[in-house]
Amino acid sequence: MNQFSLGRYVPYDTFLHRLDPRDKILGVILLMVAIFLPISGWAMTFTMGGIAFLLTVVLLYCTRTSLLAILGSLKSMWLMVFFLLAIYILMPHSNPTLGVAWNLNGWIVYWDSFAEAGKIILRLIMMIELTMILTASTKPLDMTYAFEWYLTPLKIIRFPAHEVAMTISIALRFIPTLLDDTNRVMKAQESRGVDFKHGGLWKRLTALTSLIIPLFVSAFMRSEELANAMECRGYDPKAKRTRFRVLKWKWFDWASLLFVLAFFGFFLYVSISGWNVYALFGLVTL
Amino acid sequence: MAIIFKDVFYVYNKKTPLETEALNGVSLSIEKGSFTALVGRTGCGKSTLVQHINALLSPSKGEVEVDGWINSSDKKRRSKHVRELRKHVGLVFQFPEYQLFEETVEKDVAFAPKNFGQKDEEALKAAHAALGEVGLDESFYKRSPFELSGGEKRKVAIAGILAFHPDVLIVDEPTAGLDPLGAKSMMALFEQIHRSGVTVVLVTHDMNIVLSYADQVVVLDDGKVARITDPVSLFGDDIEAFSLETPLIYRLVKDLKARGAPLDLNAIKGLPSLADQLAALKGEKA
Repeated sequence: MNQFSLGRYVPYDTFLHRLDPRDKILGVILLMVAIFLPISGWAMTFTMGGIAFLLTVVLLYCTRTSLLAILGSLKSMWLMVFFLLAIYILMPHSNPTLGVAWNLNGWIVYWDSFAEAGKIILRLIMMIELTMILTASTKPLDMTYAFEWYLTPLKIIRFPAHEVAMTISIALRFIPTLLDDTNRVMKAQESRGVDFKHGGLWKRLTALTSLIIPLFVSAFMRSEELANAMECRGYDPKAKRTRFRVLKWKWFDWASLLFVLAFFGFFLYVSISGWNVYALFGLVTL
Repeated sequence: MAIIFKDVFYVYNKKTPLETEALNGVSLSIEKGSFTALVGRTGCGKSTLVQHINALLSPSKGEVEVDGWINSSDKKRRSKHVRELRKHVGLVFQFPEYQLFEETVEKDVAFAPKNFGQKDEEALKAAHAALGEVGLDESFYKRSPFELSGGEKRKVAIAGILAFHPDVLIVDEPTAGLDPLGAKSMMALFEQIHRSGVTVVLVTHDMNIVLSYADQVVVLDDGKVARITDPVSLFGDDIEAFSLETPLIYRLVKDLKARGAPLDLNAIKGLPSLADQLAALKGEKA
Protein backbone atom coordinates (compact mmCIF):
# COMPACT_ATOMS: atom_id res chain seq x y z
CA MET A 1 0.00 0.00 0.00
CA ASN A 2 2.92 2.33 -0.63
CA GLN A 3 1.05 4.43 -3.13
CA PHE A 4 -1.31 5.51 -0.36
CA SER A 5 1.41 6.96 1.78
CA LEU A 6 2.10 9.57 -0.89
CA GLY A 7 0.63 12.92 0.05
CA ARG A 8 0.12 11.96 3.65
CA TYR A 9 1.38 14.09 6.50
CA VAL A 10 4.76 12.83 7.68
CA PRO A 11 5.57 13.87 11.25
CA TYR A 12 9.17 15.04 11.01
CA ASP A 13 10.34 18.22 12.68
CA THR A 14 11.93 20.18 9.85
CA PHE A 15 11.79 23.96 9.40
CA LEU A 16 9.08 23.41 6.78
CA HIS A 17 6.99 21.59 9.37
CA ARG A 18 7.37 24.49 11.76
CA LEU A 19 6.32 27.17 9.30
CA ASP A 20 2.91 28.71 9.78
CA PRO A 21 0.37 26.88 7.58
CA ARG A 22 -1.01 30.20 6.30
CA ASP A 23 2.46 31.06 5.10
CA LYS A 24 2.89 27.67 3.48
CA ILE A 25 -0.40 27.83 1.60
CA LEU A 26 0.28 31.33 0.29
CA GLY A 27 3.85 30.39 -0.57
CA VAL A 28 2.84 27.30 -2.50
CA ILE A 29 0.22 29.24 -4.45
CA LEU A 30 2.73 31.98 -5.31
CA LEU A 31 5.31 29.44 -6.41
CA MET A 32 2.77 27.63 -8.54
CA VAL A 33 1.75 30.84 -10.27
CA ALA A 34 5.42 31.71 -10.78
CA ILE A 35 6.03 28.35 -12.41
CA PHE A 36 3.18 28.85 -14.85
CA LEU A 37 4.13 32.39 -15.91
CA PRO A 38 4.83 32.55 -19.64
CA ILE A 39 8.41 33.39 -20.46
CA SER A 40 9.59 34.36 -23.91
CA GLY A 41 12.33 32.39 -25.61
CA TRP A 42 13.17 28.73 -25.08
CA ALA A 43 16.53 29.36 -23.44
CA MET A 44 15.02 31.57 -20.75
CA THR A 45 11.97 29.31 -20.33
CA PHE A 46 14.14 26.35 -19.49
CA THR A 47 16.61 28.37 -17.42
CA MET A 48 13.83 29.69 -15.22
CA GLY A 49 12.18 26.26 -15.18
CA GLY A 50 15.46 24.79 -14.04
CA ILE A 51 15.80 27.33 -11.23
CA ALA A 52 12.28 26.62 -10.03
CA PHE A 53 12.84 22.89 -10.29
CA LEU A 54 16.00 23.20 -8.22
CA LEU A 55 14.10 25.10 -5.54
CA THR A 56 11.29 22.53 -5.40
CA VAL A 57 13.77 19.67 -5.19
CA VAL A 58 15.62 21.38 -2.33
CA LEU A 59 12.35 22.00 -0.48
CA LEU A 60 11.23 18.45 -1.13
CA TYR A 61 14.51 17.20 0.24
CA CYS A 62 13.88 19.30 3.34
CA THR A 63 10.60 17.46 3.99
CA ARG A 64 12.52 14.20 3.48
CA THR A 65 10.20 12.97 0.78
CA SER A 66 12.20 11.29 -1.91
CA LEU A 67 11.83 12.63 -5.44
CA LEU A 68 12.32 9.14 -6.81
CA ALA A 69 9.31 7.89 -4.84
CA ILE A 70 7.20 10.62 -6.44
CA LEU A 71 8.49 9.90 -9.93
CA GLY A 72 8.00 6.20 -9.35
CA SER A 73 4.41 6.71 -8.30
CA LEU A 74 3.75 8.71 -11.42
CA LYS A 75 4.31 5.80 -13.74
CA SER A 76 0.87 6.41 -15.15
CA MET A 77 2.08 9.86 -16.20
CA TRP A 78 4.18 8.31 -18.92
CA LEU A 79 1.02 7.68 -20.84
CA MET A 80 0.25 11.37 -20.57
CA VAL A 81 3.76 12.26 -21.69
CA PHE A 82 3.30 10.28 -24.87
CA PHE A 83 -0.15 11.73 -25.34
CA LEU A 84 1.16 15.27 -24.97
CA LEU A 85 4.02 14.58 -27.34
CA ALA A 86 1.61 13.15 -29.88
CA ILE A 87 -0.66 16.17 -29.65
CA TYR A 88 2.16 18.66 -30.01
CA ILE A 89 3.62 16.74 -32.92
CA LEU A 90 0.29 16.57 -34.72
CA MET A 91 -0.50 20.21 -34.13
CA PRO A 92 1.17 22.72 -36.43
CA HIS A 93 3.42 25.09 -34.54
CA SER A 94 2.77 28.80 -34.97
CA ASN A 95 6.27 30.29 -35.04
CA PRO A 96 8.92 27.65 -34.70
CA THR A 97 12.41 28.78 -33.71
CA LEU A 98 14.23 25.53 -33.01
CA GLY A 99 14.29 24.18 -36.51
CA VAL A 100 12.83 21.16 -38.21
CA ALA A 101 13.05 17.78 -36.54
CA TRP A 102 11.92 15.89 -39.57
CA ASN A 103 10.10 16.46 -42.81
CA LEU A 104 8.18 13.49 -44.15
CA ASN A 105 6.52 14.34 -47.44
CA GLY A 106 5.39 17.69 -46.23
CA TRP A 107 4.59 16.60 -42.68
CA ILE A 108 6.90 18.98 -40.88
CA VAL A 109 7.59 18.54 -37.19
CA TYR A 110 9.64 21.16 -35.37
CA TRP A 111 11.82 20.63 -32.31
CA ASP A 112 9.58 23.22 -30.66
CA SER A 113 6.92 20.56 -30.25
CA PHE A 114 9.23 18.48 -28.11
CA ALA A 115 10.33 21.52 -26.11
CA GLU A 116 6.69 22.46 -25.53
CA ALA A 117 5.83 18.99 -24.24
CA GLY A 118 8.95 19.00 -22.05
CA LYS A 119 7.96 22.36 -20.58
CA ILE A 120 4.48 21.14 -19.67
CA ILE A 121 5.78 17.95 -18.09
CA LEU A 122 8.37 19.85 -16.06
CA ARG A 123 5.65 22.19 -14.82
CA LEU A 124 3.39 19.30 -13.89
CA ILE A 125 6.13 17.57 -11.93
CA MET A 126 6.91 20.80 -10.10
CA MET A 127 3.25 21.28 -9.27
CA ILE A 128 3.01 17.79 -7.82
CA GLU A 129 6.20 18.38 -5.85
CA LEU A 130 4.83 21.59 -4.39
CA THR A 131 1.55 20.05 -3.26
CA MET A 132 3.54 17.16 -1.83
CA ILE A 133 5.72 19.57 0.13
CA LEU A 134 2.62 21.23 1.53
CA THR A 135 0.74 18.07 2.51
CA ALA A 136 3.79 16.21 3.82
CA SER A 137 4.77 19.02 6.16
CA THR A 138 1.39 20.37 7.29
CA LYS A 139 -1.07 18.67 9.60
CA PRO A 140 -4.50 18.52 7.94
CA LEU A 141 -6.00 20.31 10.93
CA ASP A 142 -3.51 23.17 10.67
CA MET A 143 -4.33 23.39 6.99
CA THR A 144 -8.01 23.89 7.72
CA TYR A 145 -7.22 26.51 10.35
CA ALA A 146 -5.31 28.34 7.67
CA PHE A 147 -8.19 27.98 5.19
CA GLU A 148 -10.59 29.33 7.76
CA TRP A 149 -8.29 32.25 8.43
CA TYR A 150 -8.20 33.09 4.73
CA LEU A 151 -11.97 32.75 4.44
CA THR A 152 -12.73 34.89 7.49
CA PRO A 153 -12.94 38.22 5.60
CA LEU A 154 -15.74 36.68 3.52
CA LYS A 155 -17.89 36.52 6.63
CA ILE A 156 -18.83 40.12 5.86
CA ILE A 157 -20.82 38.92 2.87
CA ARG A 158 -22.30 36.14 5.04
CA PHE A 159 -20.09 33.46 3.63
CA PRO A 160 -20.16 30.51 6.10
CA ALA A 161 -16.39 30.44 6.60
CA HIS A 162 -16.45 28.33 9.73
CA GLU A 163 -18.86 25.77 8.31
CA VAL A 164 -16.83 25.39 5.15
CA ALA A 165 -13.64 25.02 7.17
CA MET A 166 -15.31 22.43 9.38
CA THR A 167 -16.51 20.46 6.36
CA ILE A 168 -13.00 20.49 4.93
CA SER A 169 -11.48 19.47 8.24
CA ILE A 170 -13.90 16.56 8.62
CA ALA A 171 -13.16 15.44 5.07
CA LEU A 172 -9.43 15.61 5.72
CA ARG A 173 -9.79 13.94 9.08
CA PHE A 174 -11.49 10.95 7.49
CA ILE A 175 -8.98 10.37 4.71
CA PRO A 176 -6.69 8.18 6.85
CA THR A 177 -9.71 6.41 8.32
CA LEU A 178 -11.06 5.63 4.89
CA LEU A 179 -7.62 4.49 3.77
CA ASP A 180 -7.51 2.10 6.70
CA ASP A 181 -10.98 0.89 5.76
CA THR A 182 -9.85 0.41 2.18
CA ASN A 183 -6.91 -1.59 3.37
CA ARG A 184 -9.06 -3.73 5.60
CA VAL A 185 -11.75 -4.43 3.01
CA MET A 186 -9.09 -5.15 0.38
CA LYS A 187 -7.50 -7.73 2.64
CA ALA A 188 -10.85 -9.27 3.48
CA GLN A 189 -11.76 -9.57 -0.19
CA GLU A 190 -8.31 -10.88 -1.05
CA SER A 191 -8.96 -13.61 1.50
CA ARG A 192 -12.06 -14.40 -0.52
CA GLY A 193 -9.92 -14.92 -3.60
CA VAL A 194 -10.19 -11.48 -5.21
CA ASP A 195 -7.17 -10.40 -7.20
CA PHE A 196 -6.97 -6.62 -7.46
CA LYS A 197 -3.80 -6.57 -9.50
CA HIS A 198 -4.24 -9.13 -12.23
CA GLY A 199 -6.96 -10.35 -14.54
CA GLY A 200 -9.02 -8.91 -17.35
CA LEU A 201 -11.06 -5.76 -17.35
CA TRP A 202 -14.32 -7.44 -16.30
CA LYS A 203 -12.64 -9.34 -13.46
CA ARG A 204 -11.03 -6.18 -12.20
CA LEU A 205 -14.32 -4.32 -12.35
CA THR A 206 -16.05 -6.88 -10.13
CA ALA A 207 -13.01 -6.81 -7.87
CA LEU A 208 -13.40 -3.07 -7.61
CA THR A 209 -17.13 -3.23 -6.79
CA SER A 210 -16.33 -5.66 -3.99
CA LEU A 211 -14.13 -2.90 -2.59
CA ILE A 212 -16.18 0.19 -3.33
CA ILE A 213 -19.57 -0.94 -2.04
CA PRO A 214 -18.37 -1.90 1.45
CA LEU A 215 -16.44 1.38 1.53
CA PHE A 216 -19.54 3.39 0.70
CA VAL A 217 -21.52 1.53 3.32
CA SER A 218 -18.96 2.20 6.01
CA ALA A 219 -18.52 5.83 4.95
CA PHE A 220 -22.26 6.47 5.23
CA MET A 221 -22.37 4.72 8.57
CA ARG A 222 -19.49 6.77 9.87
CA SER A 223 -21.04 10.02 8.71
CA GLU A 224 -24.27 9.19 10.47
CA GLU A 225 -22.44 8.27 13.66
CA LEU A 226 -20.43 11.46 13.49
CA ALA A 227 -23.53 13.58 12.94
CA ASN A 228 -25.22 11.94 15.91
CA ALA A 229 -22.18 12.39 18.11
CA MET A 230 -21.94 16.07 17.18
CA GLU A 231 -25.61 16.64 17.86
CA CYS A 232 -25.36 14.84 21.21
CA ARG A 233 -22.73 17.33 22.25
CA GLY A 234 -24.90 20.24 21.19
CA TYR A 235 -22.78 21.30 18.26
CA ASP A 236 -23.85 24.68 16.92
CA PRO A 237 -21.94 25.93 13.90
CA LYS A 238 -22.73 29.53 14.76
CA ALA A 239 -21.46 29.36 18.31
CA LYS A 240 -18.43 31.40 19.23
CA ARG A 241 -15.54 29.16 20.14
CA THR A 242 -11.99 29.41 21.28
CA ARG A 243 -9.22 27.27 20.01
CA PHE A 244 -6.65 25.08 21.66
CA ARG A 245 -4.01 25.54 19.00
CA VAL A 246 -3.49 29.13 18.04
CA LEU A 247 -1.57 29.91 14.88
CA LYS A 248 1.40 32.15 15.55
CA TRP A 249 3.20 34.09 12.88
CA LYS A 250 6.92 34.22 13.65
CA TRP A 251 9.87 36.10 12.16
CA PHE A 252 10.77 32.97 10.26
CA ASP A 253 7.42 33.07 8.49
CA TRP A 254 8.10 36.65 7.41
CA ALA A 255 11.52 35.66 6.15
CA SER A 256 10.25 32.73 4.12
CA LEU A 257 7.34 34.75 2.77
CA LEU A 258 9.75 37.49 1.70
CA PHE A 259 11.91 34.91 -0.02
CA VAL A 260 8.94 33.48 -1.90
CA LEU A 261 7.75 36.98 -2.82
CA ALA A 262 11.20 37.83 -4.13
CA PHE A 263 11.22 34.62 -6.13
CA PHE A 264 7.76 35.39 -7.49
CA GLY A 265 8.74 38.96 -8.27
CA PHE A 266 11.79 37.78 -10.15
CA PHE A 267 9.71 35.43 -12.28
CA LEU A 268 7.10 38.13 -12.87
CA TYR A 269 9.79 40.60 -13.94
CA VAL A 270 11.35 38.12 -16.33
CA SER A 271 7.95 37.26 -17.73
CA ILE A 272 6.84 40.84 -18.32
CA SER A 273 10.08 42.43 -19.45
CA GLY A 274 11.33 39.49 -21.46
CA TRP A 275 14.71 39.90 -19.80
CA ASN A 276 17.34 37.56 -21.15
CA VAL A 277 20.36 36.79 -19.04
CA TYR A 278 22.31 35.42 -21.99
CA ALA A 279 22.03 38.74 -23.78
CA LEU A 280 24.19 40.26 -21.02
CA PHE A 281 27.07 38.14 -22.24
CA GLY A 282 26.32 38.99 -25.82
CA LEU A 283 24.97 35.53 -26.61
CA VAL A 284 22.18 35.19 -29.06
CA THR A 285 19.62 32.67 -27.96
CA LEU A 286 16.42 31.23 -29.29
CA MET B 1 2.65 -29.77 10.84
CA ALA B 2 0.22 -27.44 9.15
CA ILE B 3 1.58 -24.01 10.01
CA ILE B 4 5.14 -23.17 11.00
CA PHE B 5 6.46 -19.70 11.90
CA LYS B 6 10.25 -19.45 11.84
CA ASP B 7 11.58 -16.38 13.63
CA VAL B 8 9.14 -13.99 11.99
CA PHE B 9 9.51 -10.23 12.28
CA TYR B 10 7.06 -7.71 10.91
CA VAL B 11 7.47 -3.94 10.86
CA TYR B 12 4.72 -1.52 9.85
CA ASN B 13 5.63 1.70 7.97
CA LYS B 14 9.24 0.77 7.64
CA LYS B 15 11.74 3.63 7.47
CA THR B 16 9.25 6.35 8.41
CA PRO B 17 8.70 8.04 11.77
CA LEU B 18 5.55 5.91 12.15
CA GLU B 19 7.60 2.71 12.16
CA THR B 20 6.21 0.12 14.59
CA GLU B 21 7.32 -3.42 15.20
CA ALA B 22 4.30 -5.69 15.32
CA LEU B 23 6.03 -9.06 15.37
CA ASN B 24 9.33 -9.52 17.10
CA GLY B 25 10.77 -12.92 16.31
CA VAL B 26 7.77 -15.22 16.44
CA SER B 27 8.43 -18.95 16.20
CA LEU B 28 5.61 -21.41 16.63
CA SER B 29 3.96 -24.36 15.01
CA ILE B 30 0.34 -25.30 14.73
CA GLU B 31 -0.47 -28.92 14.07
CA LYS B 32 -2.88 -30.17 11.46
CA GLY B 33 -6.34 -30.69 12.88
CA SER B 34 -5.69 -28.77 16.06
CA PHE B 35 -7.79 -26.03 17.62
CA THR B 36 -5.41 -23.24 18.53
CA ALA B 37 -6.38 -20.14 20.44
CA LEU B 38 -4.32 -16.99 19.98
CA VAL B 39 -4.57 -14.63 22.94
CA GLY B 40 -2.91 -11.53 24.30
CA ARG B 41 -3.66 -7.91 25.02
CA THR B 42 -4.92 -5.50 22.36
CA GLY B 43 -2.14 -4.48 19.99
CA CYS B 44 0.15 -7.41 20.80
CA GLY B 45 0.29 -8.50 17.16
CA LYS B 46 -2.39 -11.21 16.97
CA SER B 47 -4.09 -9.85 13.86
CA THR B 48 -0.73 -9.20 12.19
CA LEU B 49 0.28 -12.78 12.92
CA VAL B 50 -2.80 -14.37 11.39
CA GLN B 51 -2.48 -12.25 8.26
CA HIS B 52 0.86 -13.93 7.63
CA ILE B 53 -0.80 -17.32 7.44
CA ASN B 54 -2.59 -16.57 4.17
CA ALA B 55 0.09 -14.24 2.85
CA LEU B 56 -1.84 -10.99 3.13
CA LEU B 57 1.31 -9.80 4.80
CA SER B 58 4.82 -11.05 4.14
CA PRO B 59 7.39 -11.13 6.92
CA SER B 60 9.99 -8.36 7.13
CA LYS B 61 12.32 -11.11 8.29
CA GLY B 62 11.83 -14.83 8.72
CA GLU B 63 9.52 -17.32 7.12
CA VAL B 64 6.05 -18.81 7.44
CA GLU B 65 5.30 -22.25 6.04
CA VAL B 66 1.75 -23.47 5.54
CA ASP B 67 1.61 -27.07 4.29
CA GLY B 68 4.61 -26.53 2.07
CA TRP B 69 3.59 -23.06 0.85
CA ILE B 70 6.35 -20.67 1.85
CA ASN B 71 5.75 -17.02 2.74
CA SER B 72 9.20 -15.58 3.23
CA SER B 73 10.83 -12.17 3.51
CA ASP B 74 13.05 -13.36 0.69
CA LYS B 75 11.04 -12.91 -2.49
CA LYS B 76 12.95 -15.64 -4.28
CA ARG B 77 12.02 -18.23 -1.68
CA ARG B 78 8.38 -17.20 -1.61
CA SER B 79 6.04 -19.68 -3.29
CA LYS B 80 4.07 -18.62 -6.34
CA HIS B 81 0.31 -18.67 -6.77
CA VAL B 82 -0.98 -17.04 -3.66
CA ARG B 83 -4.51 -18.01 -4.72
CA GLU B 84 -3.75 -21.67 -4.02
CA LEU B 85 -2.78 -20.76 -0.48
CA ARG B 86 -5.85 -18.59 0.08
CA LYS B 87 -8.08 -21.37 -1.15
CA HIS B 88 -6.47 -23.55 1.46
CA VAL B 89 -6.56 -21.04 4.32
CA GLY B 90 -9.81 -19.24 5.08
CA LEU B 91 -9.42 -16.04 7.08
CA VAL B 92 -12.43 -14.44 8.73
CA PHE B 93 -11.58 -10.90 9.75
CA GLN B 94 -12.81 -9.10 12.81
CA PHE B 95 -16.25 -7.62 12.12
CA PRO B 96 -16.47 -9.43 8.78
CA GLU B 97 -19.95 -8.00 8.18
CA TYR B 98 -18.28 -4.98 6.57
CA GLN B 99 -17.09 -7.02 3.62
CA LEU B 100 -20.55 -7.81 2.24
CA PHE B 101 -21.35 -6.17 -1.06
CA GLU B 102 -23.55 -8.31 -3.32
CA GLU B 103 -27.26 -7.81 -4.00
CA THR B 104 -28.36 -11.05 -2.40
CA VAL B 105 -27.08 -13.17 0.45
CA GLU B 106 -26.53 -16.26 -1.71
CA LYS B 107 -24.56 -14.29 -4.29
CA ASP B 108 -22.33 -12.85 -1.61
CA VAL B 109 -21.60 -16.26 -0.12
CA ALA B 110 -20.96 -17.71 -3.57
CA PHE B 111 -18.47 -14.92 -4.33
CA ALA B 112 -15.40 -16.64 -2.88
CA PRO B 113 -16.06 -20.11 -4.38
CA LYS B 114 -16.51 -18.43 -7.75
CA ASN B 115 -13.23 -16.56 -7.33
CA PHE B 116 -11.55 -19.85 -6.58
CA GLY B 117 -12.69 -21.26 -9.87
CA GLN B 118 -16.02 -22.97 -9.21
CA LYS B 119 -18.79 -22.75 -11.78
CA ASP B 120 -21.77 -20.51 -10.98
CA GLU B 121 -24.07 -23.39 -10.14
CA GLU B 122 -21.54 -25.25 -8.03
CA ALA B 123 -20.72 -22.04 -6.18
CA LEU B 124 -24.39 -21.41 -5.49
CA LYS B 125 -24.78 -24.94 -4.18
CA ALA B 126 -21.76 -24.48 -1.93
CA ALA B 127 -23.23 -21.20 -0.76
CA HIS B 128 -26.53 -22.81 0.18
CA ALA B 129 -24.71 -25.54 2.08
CA ALA B 130 -22.56 -22.99 3.94
CA LEU B 131 -25.61 -20.88 4.81
CA GLY B 132 -27.23 -24.02 6.20
CA GLU B 133 -24.14 -24.65 8.31
CA VAL B 134 -24.29 -21.21 9.92
CA GLY B 135 -28.02 -21.63 10.49
CA LEU B 136 -29.58 -19.39 7.87
CA ASP B 137 -32.43 -21.02 5.96
CA GLU B 138 -33.78 -20.60 2.43
CA SER B 139 -35.74 -17.47 3.30
CA PHE B 140 -32.43 -15.60 3.49
CA TYR B 141 -31.09 -16.62 0.06
CA LYS B 142 -32.67 -13.82 -1.94
CA ARG B 143 -32.56 -11.09 0.67
CA SER B 144 -30.14 -8.19 0.52
CA PRO B 145 -27.28 -8.61 3.00
CA PHE B 146 -27.69 -4.96 3.99
CA GLU B 147 -31.15 -5.42 5.48
CA LEU B 148 -30.05 -8.15 7.90
CA SER B 149 -29.29 -7.69 11.58
CA GLY B 150 -25.67 -7.43 12.76
CA GLY B 151 -25.51 -11.05 13.90
CA GLU B 152 -27.06 -12.34 10.70
CA LYS B 153 -24.66 -10.29 8.61
CA ARG B 154 -21.76 -11.82 10.46
CA LYS B 155 -23.13 -15.29 9.83
CA VAL B 156 -23.38 -14.51 6.12
CA ALA B 157 -19.80 -13.25 6.09
CA ILE B 158 -18.55 -16.38 7.85
CA ALA B 159 -20.55 -18.56 5.47
CA GLY B 160 -18.75 -16.70 2.68
CA ILE B 161 -15.48 -18.20 3.92
CA LEU B 162 -16.85 -21.63 4.81
CA ALA B 163 -18.31 -21.97 1.32
CA PHE B 164 -14.96 -22.82 -0.25
CA HIS B 165 -14.12 -25.42 2.43
CA PRO B 166 -10.71 -24.23 3.61
CA ASP B 167 -8.46 -26.77 5.35
CA VAL B 168 -7.30 -24.13 7.77
CA LEU B 169 -9.84 -21.73 9.22
CA ILE B 170 -8.65 -18.59 10.97
CA VAL B 171 -11.22 -16.52 12.82
CA ASP B 172 -10.43 -13.17 14.38
CA GLU B 173 -12.69 -12.52 17.38
CA PRO B 174 -15.85 -13.98 15.89
CA THR B 175 -17.91 -13.47 19.03
CA ALA B 176 -17.10 -9.77 19.58
CA GLY B 177 -20.32 -7.79 19.88
CA LEU B 178 -22.64 -10.81 19.71
CA ASP B 179 -25.23 -11.61 22.37
CA PRO B 180 -24.30 -14.56 24.66
CA LEU B 181 -26.56 -17.04 22.88
CA GLY B 182 -25.34 -15.94 19.47
CA ALA B 183 -21.75 -16.27 20.63
CA LYS B 184 -22.45 -19.75 21.93
CA SER B 185 -23.98 -20.99 18.69
CA MET B 186 -21.13 -19.35 16.76
CA MET B 187 -18.58 -21.27 18.82
CA ALA B 188 -20.57 -24.48 18.47
CA LEU B 189 -20.29 -23.98 14.71
CA PHE B 190 -16.50 -23.68 14.84
CA GLU B 191 -16.31 -26.72 17.11
CA GLN B 192 -18.30 -28.69 14.57
CA ILE B 193 -16.07 -27.50 11.73
CA HIS B 194 -13.03 -28.46 13.76
CA ARG B 195 -14.44 -31.97 14.30
CA SER B 196 -14.76 -32.39 10.55
CA GLY B 197 -10.95 -32.21 10.39
CA VAL B 198 -10.31 -28.51 9.78
CA THR B 199 -7.42 -26.82 11.56
CA VAL B 200 -8.88 -23.89 13.47
CA VAL B 201 -6.96 -20.85 14.65
CA LEU B 202 -9.05 -18.58 16.84
CA VAL B 203 -8.11 -15.10 18.00
CA THR B 204 -10.05 -14.21 21.11
CA HIS B 205 -10.12 -12.31 24.38
CA ASP B 206 -12.61 -14.67 26.01
CA MET B 207 -10.80 -17.16 28.23
CA ASN B 208 -13.97 -19.18 28.78
CA ILE B 209 -13.94 -19.96 25.07
CA VAL B 210 -10.24 -20.83 25.24
CA LEU B 211 -10.88 -23.28 28.09
CA SER B 212 -13.90 -24.87 26.44
CA TYR B 213 -12.68 -25.31 22.88
CA ALA B 214 -8.94 -24.92 22.38
CA ASP B 215 -6.37 -27.67 22.71
CA GLN B 216 -3.42 -25.32 22.28
CA VAL B 217 -3.01 -21.71 23.40
CA VAL B 218 -0.48 -19.25 22.08
CA VAL B 219 0.00 -16.18 24.25
CA LEU B 220 1.48 -13.20 22.45
CA ASP B 221 3.01 -10.33 24.33
CA ASP B 222 4.50 -7.31 22.60
CA GLY B 223 5.05 -9.16 19.34
CA LYS B 224 6.73 -12.14 20.99
CA VAL B 225 5.42 -15.58 21.88
CA ALA B 226 5.11 -15.57 25.67
CA ARG B 227 3.64 -19.06 26.10
CA ILE B 228 2.63 -22.03 24.00
CA THR B 229 0.76 -24.52 26.09
CA ASP B 230 -2.62 -26.17 26.70
CA PRO B 231 -5.37 -24.08 28.33
CA VAL B 232 -5.40 -25.81 31.71
CA SER B 233 -1.68 -25.38 32.33
CA LEU B 234 -1.91 -21.80 31.13
CA PHE B 235 -4.54 -20.93 33.71
CA GLY B 236 -2.39 -22.59 36.36
CA ASP B 237 0.16 -19.79 35.84
CA ASP B 238 -0.08 -16.17 36.71
CA ILE B 239 -1.54 -14.81 33.50
CA GLU B 240 -2.57 -11.34 34.59
CA ALA B 241 0.78 -10.07 33.34
CA PHE B 242 -0.57 -10.73 29.83
CA SER B 243 -3.83 -8.98 30.74
CA LEU B 244 -5.73 -12.27 30.61
CA GLU B 245 -8.42 -13.37 33.01
CA THR B 246 -8.74 -16.85 34.48
CA PRO B 247 -12.11 -18.37 33.50
CA LEU B 248 -14.74 -18.47 36.23
CA ILE B 249 -15.31 -22.18 36.02
CA TYR B 250 -11.60 -22.89 36.38
CA ARG B 251 -11.44 -20.75 39.52
CA LEU B 252 -14.52 -22.46 40.94
CA VAL B 253 -13.09 -25.92 40.42
CA LYS B 254 -9.75 -24.85 41.86
CA ASP B 255 -11.48 -23.53 44.99
CA LEU B 256 -13.54 -26.69 45.27
CA LYS B 257 -10.36 -28.75 45.01
CA ALA B 258 -8.72 -26.66 47.69
CA ARG B 259 -11.62 -27.55 49.95
CA GLY B 260 -11.09 -31.22 49.29
CA ALA B 261 -13.36 -32.06 46.38
CA PRO B 262 -11.65 -34.80 44.33
CA LEU B 263 -12.18 -33.13 40.95
CA ASP B 264 -9.90 -33.43 37.93
CA LEU B 265 -8.85 -29.94 36.82
CA ASN B 266 -7.52 -31.21 33.51
CA ALA B 267 -10.88 -32.56 32.44
CA ILE B 268 -12.79 -29.35 33.08
CA LYS B 269 -13.78 -27.67 29.84
CA GLY B 270 -16.95 -25.94 30.87
CA LEU B 271 -20.17 -26.42 32.77
CA PRO B 272 -21.18 -29.76 31.18
CA SER B 273 -17.87 -31.43 32.03
CA LEU B 274 -18.09 -30.13 35.61
CA ALA B 275 -21.61 -31.52 35.88
CA ASP B 276 -20.39 -34.88 34.59
CA GLN B 277 -17.66 -35.03 37.20
CA LEU B 278 -20.03 -34.04 39.97
CA ALA B 279 -22.50 -36.68 38.86
CA ALA B 280 -19.72 -39.27 38.83
CA LEU B 281 -18.70 -38.25 42.37
CA LYS B 282 -22.28 -38.52 43.56
CA GLY B 283 -22.47 -41.99 41.96
CA GLU B 284 -19.38 -43.10 43.85
CA LYS B 285 -20.84 -41.99 47.16
CA ALA B 286 -24.24 -43.52 46.63
